[in-house]
Amino acid sequence: MATATSCNKLDLKPLDKLDGNAMFSDPQGVKLYMANLYYQLPIEDFNFMRGGFNDWIGENMVSAHFTDEAVHSNYLDFLTTGNFHWWEQGYKLIRDVNIFSDAIPQLRVSEDEKNKMRGESAFIKAYTYYALAKRYGGVSIIDSVQKYEGDVEVLKVPRSTEKETWDFVMTQCDIAIQHLPETWPGGERRATKWVAAALKTRAALHAASIAKFGDRAVLSGEAVSRKLVGIEKMYANDYYRQVIDAANLLMENGPFALYKPNPASPEEAAENYRKMFEDPSVAPEEAIFIKGFTKVDLGHNYDIYYNPAQTANGWPHPGRINPTLEFIDLFESYAQPGQSSPIRTSAAANDITDYSGFNPAKNYYRFDHPSDIFEGKDARLWGTVILPGTQWKNTEIVIQAGFIKPDGTPQIMEGNPYTHTDGKTYHVFGSSDRTQYSGFDSYGGNYTRTGFSFKKFLDQRIPVVYGYSKGLTDYIDFRYAEVLLNFAEAVVESGITDNNAVAKATAALNAIRKRAGHTQDIPLTVENVQRERRVELAFENKRFWDLMRRREYHTLFQNTIMHALLPVVDLRVTPAQYIFIRTEVPRGWRYTFDPRQYYRYIPGIGSNGLVQNPQY
Amino acid sequence: MNWMKAIVCMSGISCFMTACSLDNYEAPTSAIYGSFIDQETGELIEQDIVRGTQIEYQEGRFVANQYMVVKPDGTYRNNLLFNGVYKFTPVRGNFEPIDPVTVEITRDTKLDFQVIPFLRIKHVSIFKNGNKVKAIFRIQQTGFDNVLKVGLYAGADKAAGATVNQSAVEIPVGATVSEDQSFTIEMDIVNNPRLKKGFTYYFRVGAVIDAPEAKFNYAPAVELTL
Repeated sequence: MATATSCNKLDLKPLDKLDGNAMFSDPQGVKLYMANLYYQLPIEDFNFMRGGFNDWIGENMVSAHFTDEAVHSNYLDFLTTGNFHWWEQGYKLIRDVNIFSDAIPQLRVSEDEKNKMRGESAFIKAYTYYALAKRYGGVSIIDSVQKYEGDVEVLKVPRSTEKETWDFVMTQCDIAIQHLPETWPGGERRATKWVAAALKTRAALHAASIAKFGDRAVLSGEAVSRKLVGIEKMYANDYYRQVIDAANLLMENGPFALYKPNPASPEEAAENYRKMFEDPSVAPEEAIFIKGFTKVDLGHNYDIYYNPAQTANGWPHPGRINPTLEFIDLFESYAQPGQSSPIRTSAAANDITDYSGFNPAKNYYRFDHPSDIFEGKDARLWGTVILPGTQWKNTEIVIQAGFIKPDGTPQIMEGNPYTHTDGKTYHVFGSSDRTQYSGFDSYGGNYTRTGFSFKKFLDQRIPVVYGYSKGLTDYIDFRYAEVLLNFAEAVVESGITDNNAVAKATAALNAIRKRAGHTQDIPLTVENVQRERRVELAFENKRFWDLMRRREYHTLFQNTIMHALLPVVDLRVTPAQYIFIRTEVPRGWRYTFDPRQYYRYIPGIGSNGLVQNPQY
Repeated sequence: MNWMKAIVCMSGISCFMTACSLDNYEAPTSAIYGSFIDQETGELIEQDIVRGTQIEYQEGRFVANQYMVVKPDGTYRNNLLFNGVYKFTPVRGNFEPIDPVTVEITRDTKLDFQVIPFLRIKHVSIFKNGNKVKAIFRIQQTGFDNVLKVGLYAGADKAAGATVNQSAVEIPVGATVSEDQSFTIEMDIVNNPRLKKGFTYYFRVGAVIDAPEAKFNYAPAVELTL
């Protein structure tokens, strides 16, 4: 303010600030400014934690920990009202992008350059308001820089309805699709027409789901009656239509395809799938938008926190993501396409629902090797999860919960080693050395308590580098498989059939399954699409928002505890074999989702004067 | 990162303490308490311990809503209120919505709410029967909404219910019911990892109607030793 006033009077330009016109008329200036905007973009990458974005240090609870995908090895926390906010940073980014978009008309650059700038700023606005809308519902839409001229009240923009907010996101996506180039020179990782279209499929699907499924969890209060949260059901198909149109643009005109779509075997499919996340640059045909990490100390922490204890390489806090038995059960088996194939531990009729612990009278299936029980399961299980007894970084990952003595006494997750009559000593967790196993020990919260360790995104080629923010794996924000699944969901949920939609959606669904080693096609149903989505996009921060937008969270988490699979050595037989016990997560907790959490609370209503979300 | 948390915690505490020593505002001395009473039977309206009925209240000068939760037995109490005029609105309850009540609070103020529960759980008997705990009961409806489901809940205290329990058996209903109809729910207590033989648990039956934000209605809990 003081600066601005003195400028007017003396007609001098400040020496410590760049003039907007000079900055943005130079492509290098635009690039510099853009780098900052992209950095602030709410991309749910490896540094997206419960506390927010770009969290480099300390925190290690990701969105998957608050869903049925995983439990944390150490923490018992469930979603609180303070988690996953993005408000002040959002409006800071909005101000920064508005400074840029306001300057475009006056710039001394070609109309072509201006259009690119219009496209790019619209993309950033779309992404930003998408992130706000899915947290807060309708928000204040501020599309140009606000100036303080003595009256703070005029700066207070009331919330738009949730529908108006989503429509603003849609409009900005359309501007971005219209103006952005298909590629950038030199392959720069910037928004393209295709990225904007992919964003539109994701955002429109969220809005459509709110409209369609809002009545699964009806809220009440002022925010509801003013339509600041919620969208009327009749608009669902308008948004599904927008998903379909944007996806069609990509599917019919875009250069994208699935990475390695025809594997020779499930083993090959599992490796292909894993490698795509280990190094996304191998899959340019599938990766639509990549966020790169290039600088040590400005990287991420996936490798340190989520490797199994055996490959922690000296880092004291490994093993933090433990995929649940619910997640493992979800996967199809190649022998039974089109349905989840839960892990069976015996022939008992109630086997899947029996969590009562070891039962000496039960005829457990016995296996020579602990990974045998997973034979024939979908390749993506092997690509996503480290299963007990499988190889990782040239190490056999030992995940063992205990043993059954020859006399039938169970010794599970506690007790002394046992020396068998054959002279061999059996340890509860598989070894006397804490660096030689990865499961069930409660020490340090470093050992999986579900029986499964995490694999997706971890780099198998290099040892863990000790310290924070050393991880340099790139993150795929949008990939072609998600667009196909967004398309398939929109078709099956909306009932829209024109332009051969059902056949295309069925083909898209099965193309993804074929890439995972399946050979039989399955029909397009709501259940098949959702299962495929959970399996294919697991741990990509999708499940959390899927439970939100489809209003399934409060039904899934109703005094709910997740489950584990205990691999146990059975010494009642010679030679010893493995049996498995389905059980509640050891030291676990039961969680209930409060429907008000479908929206975050609006921070600072005392000063910004906005209407608060329901029940806050 | 525990040391970081500790530092954050400590700095939080020290800020708080500083603020206390500077301001000289009197601590709140007034209280409100009361019950939710079935206006027909005079019985207390049993609640869930979490996500049960809440009382939304505003004090004249204060913009934000505040909330009190109602205890599982249907009573409530808040001993830390400033004197003043408050508006109380029970919200999202297990009874027909009622109008806000404006009350001036001085010292101990009693405020009872006479309400009509969505459902009355009647003629309840809960007993041990071999390997199972068996609950037999009837439901009286006060409105026309479908009964969504009925449940038998076991827990370590009288608050056992749909949102907090150690073991639960729920049966979907999806229809209106009449008092002639008897419901029976059985809970396996032998092959149940959450219930141990020889221990004492509380068993409560409940039912909920199929209406937005409706909460469960319960009969009082029954104590059984397995």
